Amino acid sequence: MTALALAVAELKRVTRDRTFMFFIVLLPILVILLVGVTTSSSSNIRIGLVPGQSTPLATQLGNDLQADPAFTTVRYSTRAKGVDALRRGELQAVVVIPTTLDADLQSGRTTQIPVLVSGAIENNQAAVTGISSVVARHGATVQAALFATTHTSRAFAENLVTARTLQREAPVVAVRTEVVNSKGVVLPVGYSYSAPTMLVLFVFLNAVAGGAAIIQTRKYGVFARALAAPIRPRDLVLGEGLCYFALALIQSVLIVVVGAVMFDVSWGDPAAAVALVGMWALVGTGAGILSGTLFRTPEQAGAIGPAVGIAFAMLGGCMWPLEIVPQSVRLAGHAFPHAWAVDAWTNLLSRGGGLAEIGGYLGILAAYAVGLLAIASLRLRRSLVTP
Amino acid sequence: MSAVLAIAIKDLRQRLRDRSAIVLGFVAPLAVAWLISMAFGSAASFHTNVAVVDLDRGQVAAGFTTFVKSPELAKLLTVTSAVNAEDAKAKVAKGDLGAAFVIPAGYSDAVTSGNNRPITVLTSVDASIAGQVARSLAQSFTAQIEAVQLSVNAAVSAGAPAASVGQLAAEAAALRLPEQTITQPAGTKTLTAINYYAPAMGIFFSFFAIGFGARGFFLERNGGTLDRLAAAPIGPGTILMGKSLATFVYGAASLSTVALFTSLIFGAYWGPPLAVIALIVALALTIVGMTALVITAARTERQSEGFASMLTFGLVLLGGNFIFVGGAPEMVRTLALFTPNGWALRALTDFSGGADWTAVTTPLIAILAFGLGTGVIAFALRRRVVNQ
Repeated sequence: MTALALAVAELKRVTRDRTFMFFIVLLPILVILLVGVTTSSSSNIRIGLVPGQSTPLATQLGNDLQADPAFTTVRYSTRAKGVDALRRGELQAVVVIPTTLDADLQSGRTTQIPVLVSGAIENNQAAVTGISSVVARHGATVQAALFATTHTSRAFAENLVTARTLQREAPVVAVRTEVVNSKGVVLPVGYSYSAPTMLVLFVFLNAVAGGAAIIQTRKYGVFARALAAPIRPRDLVLGEGLCYFALALIQSVLIVVVGAVMFDVSWGDPAAAVALVGMWALVGTGAGILSGTLFRTPEQAGAIGPAVGIAFAMLGGCMWPLEIVPQSVRLAGHAFPHAWAVDAWTNLLSRGGGLAEIGGYLGILAAYAVGLLAIASLRLRRSLVTP
Repeated sequence: MSAVLAIAIKDLRQRLRDRSAIVLGFVAPLAVAWLISMAFGSAASFHTNVAVVDLDRGQVAAGFTTFVKSPELAKLLTVTSAVNAEDAKAKVAKGDLGAAFVIPAGYSDAVTSGNNRPITVLTSVDASIAGQVARSLAQSFTAQIEAVQLSVNAAVSAGAPAASVGQLAAEAAALRLPEQTITQPAGTKTLTAINYYAPAMGIFFSFFAIGFGARGFFLERNGGTLDRLAAAPIGPGTILMGKSLATFVYGAASLSTVALFTSLIFGAYWGPPLAVIALIVALALTIVGMTALVITAARTERQSEGFASMLTFGLVLLGGNFIFVGGAPEMVRTLALFTPNGWALRALTDFSGGADWTAVTTPLIAILAFGLGTGVIAFALRRRVVNQ
C-alpha cells in the first residue's frame, strides 16, 4: 500500500511536467506519422518523367508509365529538374520522352527513350527493367498500328486505338502474378510498421531518459526524508518500479489506441498484444530504474538516455527491418531486447500469431525484464541505504 | 575581447567537464554513424534471387531462361534453381527467393500457334519490389512476341484478309520493336545511407548544444554568477558575446569532428571542404540564435530544458534527420525546408549526389536567415530575461 501511494505521488509529479508529456504523447505520434507516411511510399519504384511534347504517342507513353503499379511517377517540366530530384535520391530513374517521338515513330524510325540514372548504370537495373517493360509494351502497340497501316487503308490513329484495345482486352502472351503467401516475415510497410516499432523505441527511450527523475528525487533528498518516516527501502524501490511501469503502460496504450484509431493499425491477437505490451513495459521499467542508478546527474540521464535508446533501437530493428542488414548485424541486434520485441510484433501483425506463437519471444523478454529489474532494484536499494 | 574569450573558455571548460556534453556532441553521432555504416555498408542497388521453373522445355522457354541469366541482369538478379513450382513457392514464401518464374508445359507451342498460356510470376507479400521487377522482366520478354501477334490481329481487324494470316505473321516476325530504352548516366552519384545519415546524426546531436547553453545560463543566474559578472567592469554585451561564443564553438566543434571522423573512418562524403565549413559555421550560428531564443522564452531552468528539447526534436523530425526525406512524400520534403537542418541536409545531399559548391548558396542563405530570425526574436524578447 505504501509503495502504491509512493508510485501515485511520483506519477503525479512526473506527469505535471509538460516536456515529459511532449515526449510521451506528441513526439511518438509525430514520428509514427512521418515514418509511416514515408515507408508507405517505399514499396514502389520512384521514377521521374519529363513528358516532352503533348502529342498522342508521347502522352500515351507517359500515361502508361504513370498507370503502371510498379511505379510512383512524378512529372517534371524540364530534364534539369528531374536530374535534381535524382541527385537528391527522390527518384531511382528519370524517363525523358523525346520531343520528336511521334514524328519518329510514325515515320517508321526506331526511337530510343533515354532513362537517366544516378551512378553506375548496372546498379539501377530494377527501375530500368520496369521502365523497359512499359516502353516495350507501348512499342508493341505502335508496331502493330504501323503494321496494320501498311497492310490496310485504315489510318494510323485508328489502328493504334485497335491495337491498344486488343492488347488490353485480349492479351496474347500474358504474364500472371501469384502471391504465394498472405503472411509475411517482416512488418507491413506504412503505419503498421511505424506504430509497433516506435512503441518499442519510445517506451524504452523515455524510460531510460526518465531515469533522471530518480536522480533528481535522490538529489532533492526526497528518498532520505522518506526513509526517516516508517517506510522501508523496498517500498521505495517498489514504488519507483510501479511508477515507471505505469508510465510505460500509459505510453504503450496511447500508441496502440492512436495507431488503431488514427492510422488504422490492426494490432493482432488482443491477448497476445496485451501480454507483449505488458512485458515490454516491464523491460522499460527495469531499464528506466537502472538508468536512474547508473547516471550521476539528471542531465546525464536526460541527455545520454535518448542516445542510448536510439542506438539500441537501430540495432534492434526499430529504424529499419533487420532482414535488410547483413546477417552479422542481425545477430548482433538480437543481443538487445528490442529485436525480440520487434520479432514478436512481426509475428502478431504479419503472421497472425497468437500467444502460443509469441510465447518464446515473451520468455526471452521476460528474462531481460527480470535481469534488468533485479540489477536495477539492487542498485537502487543500495543507493538508498548507503549514506 | 579578452573578457569575451575568458567567459567563453570558462563556459566551454565547464561544459566539457560534463560527460553528457562529450557523449552527445562527439561520441553519440560517431557511434550512430558506425551503426549505419555496419548496417548498410556501401550497398546502393537493388538485388534479388529468382528461379526459373521450366515445365515447357521448349525453345521459347529456353530463350527466357537465357534472357534472365544475361550478363546485363547479373547485378539485379541471381538465378538459382527450384525443383518444381511447389519448391519455388516454398522458397519464395520463406524469403530465399525474391520471386520465381513458372513457364507452363506447352508454352513454346502455344506462343508459336498464337494461343495464350501465361508465364506465372510467384511473388511474396514481403518482397513487393522483387515481384514488380520479375513481372517487368517477364513482360519485357513477352513484348516482342506480343508485338508480332498484335500486329497480325490489328491488321486483320483493320481489314486485311484473314487468309493472309500466315504471310502477315511471317512479315511481323521480321520486325523489331520501334521503341527501346537507352540507359544514360545523369551525371549524378548514388546517395548512400552513410552519406545521408552521418551529417543527419551530426546535426541532430549538435542541436543538443541549445539545451546545454540555455540550461547553463539559468544555472548561472540562479547561482548568482551572472549578477557577479554584471558587477564587474564589463557590459552585458560582453557577457552575451562570451556565452554565445561558447555555444558557437561547441556546436561547430561537434559538427566538424563528426564530419572529419565520418569522412576518414566510414568514407562518408560531406562535400567540398570550404562549402561544408560554411555550412557548419552557419549551423553553429543558428544554434546560438536558437539558444538565445530559448533563454528569452523560458522562465526557469526546467522550462529551458523543455523548450530546448522540444525545439531540437521538432526540428530534426521535420528536417529529415530521422527519416530519409528524399523517400518521403512531397509535403514532408516541403516541410523540411522550413528548418535550418532541412536546408543543410539539402545541400549535403546535393553534394553527395555530385553537385558542385554552388549548391550551398541557397541553403546557406536560408540557414543564416533562420539564425538571424531567431536572434531577432530573442533580441525583441530580451526584456523578459532582464525583468526576471
